[in-house]
Amino acid sequence: MKVVTGVIGNDIHVVANRLMDLSLNARGYEVFNLGVNTYLEEFFDAAVETGADILLISSLNGEAEGWGREVKLLKAKYKNLDNLVMMIGGNLTVGSGNAEDIVQRFKSYGFDLVCHQIDLNTGLDMLEDHMRQSSPALETTGA
Amino acid sequence: MSTENETDGSVLNGVGQLNGHSSEKPTDQSSSNSKLLVDIGSTYFKVSTAHSIEQHFRDFNKRILDDLMHKCGDTVQRFDAQDIHICSSANGGLSTLIIGLTHSYSLKYATNIAYNSGINVIDSILFQDIEEYSIPSDLIDVVIIVGGIDSNGGMFDDRLHAYLSKLNYSNVVYVGNAPDAATLSKSINQLVVLPNIIDDRLHIVEKHLKDYLTNLYQEDIEGKEDIKHLYEITGNQIYSTPFVVNKSLPHIHASFSVTDPFILLDIGGATTDVHYSKDLVSDNIVTEQEHDRIVFKKLGVFKSRQSLIFTAENNEYAYELLMHLKVTENIYKEHSEKATKILMQLAIFLVLCKMSHYRPAYVTLKLLSMNSIVFTGGITKVLTTADIEDVVAFFYRKIMNSDHKPVTVLDTQYDIWTIGAKEQATCQ
Repeated sequence: MKVVTGVIGNDIHVVANRLMDLSLNARGYEVFNLGVNTYLEEFFDAAVETGADILLISSLNGEAEGWGREVKLLKAKYKNLDNLVMMIGGNLTVGSGNAEDIVQRFKSYGFDLVCHQIDLNTGLDMLEDHMRQSSPALETTGA
Repeated sequence: MSTENETDGSVLNGVGQLNGHSSEKPTDQSSSNSKLLVDIGSTYFKVSTAHSIEQHFRDFNKRILDDLMHKCGDTVQRFDAQDIHICSSANGGLSTLIIGLTHSYSLKYATNIAYNSGINVIDSILFQDIEEYSIPSDLIDVVIIVGGIDSNGGMFDDRLHAYLSKLNYSNVVYVGNAPDAATLSKSINQLVVLPNIIDDRLHIVEKHLKDYLTNLYQEDIEGKEDIKHLYEITGNQIYSTPFVVNKSLPHIHASFSVTDPFILLDIGGATTDVHYSKDLVSDNIVTEQEHDRIVFKKLGVFKSRQSLIFTAENNEYAYELLMHLKVTENIYKEHSEKATKILMQLAIFLVLCKMSHYRPAYVTLKLLSMNSIVFTGGITKVLTTADIEDVVAFFYRKIMNSDHKPVTVLDTQYDIWTIGAKEQATCQ
């Protein structure tokens, strides 16, 4: 299963990005890591070029709040991304906030899975559960 | 320098410069003592030996070879065909239309390779919306089809065939994902299939497409009636001038006090070539090449004079620049030394606009990070450093809202072209 990942906006948290890359690879995903400082259009374009199943955006400096609002509008311009699973994780807001509110807000932006201040492995477990539910065949084939 | 990038001969005569005149310059005895370097352009040709550079205004009533032999026959005859190296930008270049899957990868990579191969990009088509694009009426020299990594097939369908069937083109090349290559090569006549320009990590792979386009460009030069006669005097391949100039850029520091990052402007008769350090671009393309180039085909002060004026008339700041230079728009109608000088200053301004956020064209450079701006070609014979700095300062003040002042460097003796030509000659 193909995953496009990277850090959105003017965010250079490269260590977290590298850890995600390693963890996804260890779980058997084919990873296309766009690295830090990645713009939203590059994420969607990479999904088109690679035929990715999952788009996993990370954000640590709170920029996701601004970019998230553009997701639905931009994704609607693409004609082949209806089945793309959209996930976002990291520190999704500036300052403090109610986690439930934040999760709901990002889901309203168009993300299927939202992990705000959740550790990496828990987040990736959530992803696996989601993929199994949406594609039961994965139960037998693995990621 | 580039001959398309030349200046009006009357002006050069007027300021008492190079026309038909040879200038002594420092020699590099070790590298090309026995080589003759020739640059053919739309307005001028230049002939360089280890001891001198000659520049001549072209006689348009003669074939280039006849004109060259008439004016520099003695020099040319002193050299063996194997030691004569010629480059030309007089052929106008090839055009391409690119069909790709996304703006950030396939279209961007193919566009970058096309420009670096000296090919003009007529249009970029996003495949998912291909039915919404109009069909260019002009003959396209080469259509490039690109998209997808090799593990992602089935990207192109009948809409591609429908579009191509309406298009008038000479060559078509596929540089996309491997699975689609087999299908498309059966359904598209004369399709040339090359390795994917996008690797499995979404990085650019330039070599194969660049070689193909460069060879196509060479074939075009060789096929030009005027140029192919030049093979009577040289035993080497004739290259495009921007290609040769680009070769010199890694070695520019040996001859000039240029601080990275820099841009090099070659403004002349028919076109303007811009070569720029990759450090001035924020993008996702990682290549070994340190300098990219782009050719603005219709910005020149001689053959492209009218389109330059048209571009100026559509730029809201151009009028203000004319005021600043203490002339009016009537200058467009004049054919004087002063008019050519003003047009050159306008050309500098308009090219910088095209490389900035104000009028983006293909690439937007980080002009506030630029430390040097190098000028070469005929412009260096007409404008002084002060004339150029005046316009550059106007640009930064009006467009960039900044007092930034990159250092202006003038290549008055065509050293940059000579370095590139020597480099190319050494490689052959």
